[in-house]
Amino acid sequence: MRNVSQFKQMFLTQLKLTLREKQAWFWGIFFPVILMVIFMVIFTSGSDDEFSATVAIVNENPNPTSEMLLQQINQIPVLVIEGDGTVNREEADELVKEQDVHAAIVLPETEDVTTLLLLVNKENENGVTTQALSGMLDKFVQQANLYAVGASPTYELEIESITSGNMELSATDFLLTGMIALAIAQGGLFGMVDLVEMRRKGLIKRLRMTPANMNIFGLSDMIMRFVFSIIQIVLLSLIGVFIFGAKLYIDFPTLLVVFIVGALSFNALGYFFSSFSKTTEAYMGVANITSFLMMFLSGVFIPIETMPQWIQPVSNILPLTYFVEGLREAMVYSSSIFNASVWIGIGIMMLWGVIAYVLGSWFYKTKSIVETR
Amino acid sequence: MSVLDVRDLKKSFGKNHAVQGISFSVSAGEVFTIIGPNGAGKTTTLEMIEGLVTPDHGEILFGNLTWEKNSKTIKQMIGVQPQSSAMFDLLNPEENLDLFATFYDKARPTEEVLKLVNLTDHRKNHVKKLSGGQRQRLAIGLAMISDPDIIFLDEPTTGLDPQARRNIWDIILELKKLGKTIILTTHYMEEAEKLSDRVCIVDQGKIVTLDTPAALIAKLTEEREVRLAFIDGAAAAEEAEVFSQNIDSVVRTEREGSSLKLWSTNPEDTLYDLFGFTKEKNYKVEQVSIREMSLEDVFIAFTGKEWRD
Repeated sequence: MRNVSQFKQMFLTQLKLTLREKQAWFWGIFFPVILMVIFMVIFTSGSDDEFSATVAIVNENPNPTSEMLLQQINQIPVLVIEGDGTVNREEADELVKEQDVHAAIVLPETEDVTTLLLLVNKENENGVTTQALSGMLDKFVQQANLYAVGASPTYELEIESITSGNMELSATDFLLTGMIALAIAQGGLFGMVDLVEMRRKGLIKRLRMTPANMNIFGLSDMIMRFVFSIIQIVLLSLIGVFIFGAKLYIDFPTLLVVFIVGALSFNALGYFFSSFSKTTEAYMGVANITSFLMMFLSGVFIPIETMPQWIQPVSNILPLTYFVEGLREAMVYSSSIFNASVWIGIGIMMLWGVIAYVLGSWFYKTKSIVETR
Repeated sequence: MSVLDVRDLKKSFGKNHAVQGISFSVSAGEVFTIIGPNGAGKTTTLEMIEGLVTPDHGEILFGNLTWEKNSKTIKQMIGVQPQSSAMFDLLNPEENLDLFATFYDKARPTEEVLKLVNLTDHRKNHVKKLSGGQRQRLAIGLAMISDPDIIFLDEPTTGLDPQARRNIWDIILELKKLGKTIILTTHYMEEAEKLSDRVCIVDQGKIVTLDTPAALIAKLTEEREVRLAFIDGAAAAEEAEVFSQNIDSVVRTEREGSSLKLWSTNPEDTLYDLFGFTKEKNYKVEQVSIREMSLEDVFIAFTGKEWRD
C-alpha cells in the first residue's frame, strides 16, 4: 500500500518537475517540432513533382527527318524546350556550357544522317537528369528505328507500384514516421540528464538516506517520460497530417506495443548513460554521439536499402532502426500485431532496453551511490 | 541508555586515511557534537554511521541493529540532514515534505513540521527561491518528517549569516526539548559549546578529546587571560607589564602598544595588585576584561594548532 502511495507521490513530483522545467518543454516538444518541420521542408519539397528537363533543340538545316523528330520531341511532356523553338549550334553550346539548359538535342542535318546528338555539360555527365534524358532519347530512337522498318515491339514494360499497406508510401509519410521515432528516441536518450544533475547535487544520495524505494522512483520517472512521449507522437502526427498532408493508416494495437517498447527501451538507454556519466557534459556527449549515429544509420531520412552494403549490418543492430520500422508498420502500412516481422523488431528493442536497464542499475548500485567521496 | 555505539571506525580513500579508529557512544536524548576543522573526518564518520559509506573497519550499532542486517529498520528510525541540503528545487517546501513523508511508515503532519522549522509563510515558494537559511531549515524539516528518534545534522549552519544560524540553533534546542537524540557536526566552536551535551573533537581522522564542554574547558590549566588598555599610552602599558611580571600568579605577559595581555592563575588578585599600581602612578585604564576559556582554547591546547573556521 505504501508503495502505491509512494508511486503516486513520486509520479506527481515528476509531473510537477516536468511542467515547471522550461527546458523540458523546449527540448521535448518545441525542438522536435522545429526539427521535423525543417526536415520535412528540406526532404519533401519538390520530391513529389514530376520529372522535367529543359533542352535546347538545334535544327540548323530543317529536313523531313529533322522536322519529323522535332514534332515527336515536342510531344514529350517532360521536356521543356528552351525559347520555345530551335537554336543554332553555337547558341546551344553556350547554353549547355552555362548550364542554362540540362542538354541540347542536335537534329540530323540531312535526311541521310541517322545520328541524334545529345549535348551535355561535362560536369553533369553522370547526373540524374542527363541519365534520364539519355534513356528517354534512347527509347525514342528505338521507337523511330522500329517505325522505320515497319515493326512493332514484341515485349513491353509495365510499371505498377504496390505496398504491403493500404496506400502508397510517400516521402512525407516516410519522414513523418521517422521523425516521430527520432523524437521519442531522443527524448529517452537525452531526457535522463536530470538524473545526472540530481546525482551531482546530491539528491540521489539524499533519497538513498531515506527508506524510499528507488525502483519506484525510477519507474515513476520512466512513466512520466512515457506520458511526454505520447504528447510528442500526437503533436507530431497532427502536424504531419494537417500541415504536410501525410496519410496515416494506423493499426492501434501494433502502434501501442511498438511505442511502449520503443519509448521504454530508449529511456533505459538514457538511464544507462546517466549511470556512468559524472557530469551533464559527459552525459550529453555520449547521448549526442549515439543519437547522431543512429539518426543517419537507422533509416529515419533515407531507406536502409539505399545505404552502402557494408554499413547495413550496423544499421541492422541499432534499436532506432527497429523503432522506425515498427512505427512505419503501425502507422503507415497498418500491419497487424500478429505480423512476425513486427515482433522481431520489438524483440530486438526489448533486448536493448533490458540490457541497458540492467547495466544502468548495476552501475548505480556499485559505482554512483556508495563511495562517492 | 546508549542508542548508538561506534567502535573503532576506519576509512581510507586511496592514500588519504580519513578516519583512523573513532569510537564513541551516544545516549538517548543527548546532543552529541563532532567538531573539527575542514578535512578532519567529521563528514566521513557521519556518512559511515548514516550507512552511506561502508567502513573499512569497525562496528556501528543502533541498539542491537546493524546496517548489514537491519538497514530498512534503521532508515525508518533515523533522520538525516546532509551537508549538501539537496532537495527538489522546483517543488515548494510543502511538496518536498509531502513527498518525503511517503517514504516512511509513520510521518509527522507536514503542517507541524513547517511550523517547527518556521517555514509556514514560505510553504508555497519554490525551493530555488528560498534563502540559504530557509533551505537549511527545510533540510532539517525533511530530516524530521518521520519523527525520528535519532537525527543527524551535518554542518547545518555552515555558510549562514548570524541571524540564520541562531534560527537553526533554536530549532535544534527545540528538538532537544522534544527528547530527540541529535548527532551534530560543526566547525563552529560557539555552536558546539552552546548546543551540545557532549563534544567530540576530531582532528586528522582521530578523536582528540571527548567530554562535556564544561569538563573539557576545566581540563585546561587554571590560567585566565586578563586584558587592560591604558589611556596614557604605550609607556604606561610597558611599566605595568614590568610590574605584573613580578606578581607571583602571572604566568606570562604580552604587550601591543597601549594594550597589555597577561595570563594569571589568580586573575582577581592580579587585577587588585594592578589597580594598586595604576592608582599609585595615576595611570588611567579604559578597558579591563577577564576572558573565559572556550572550546577554541581546548582545541589549541589539545592539538597545538590554531583554530580555523
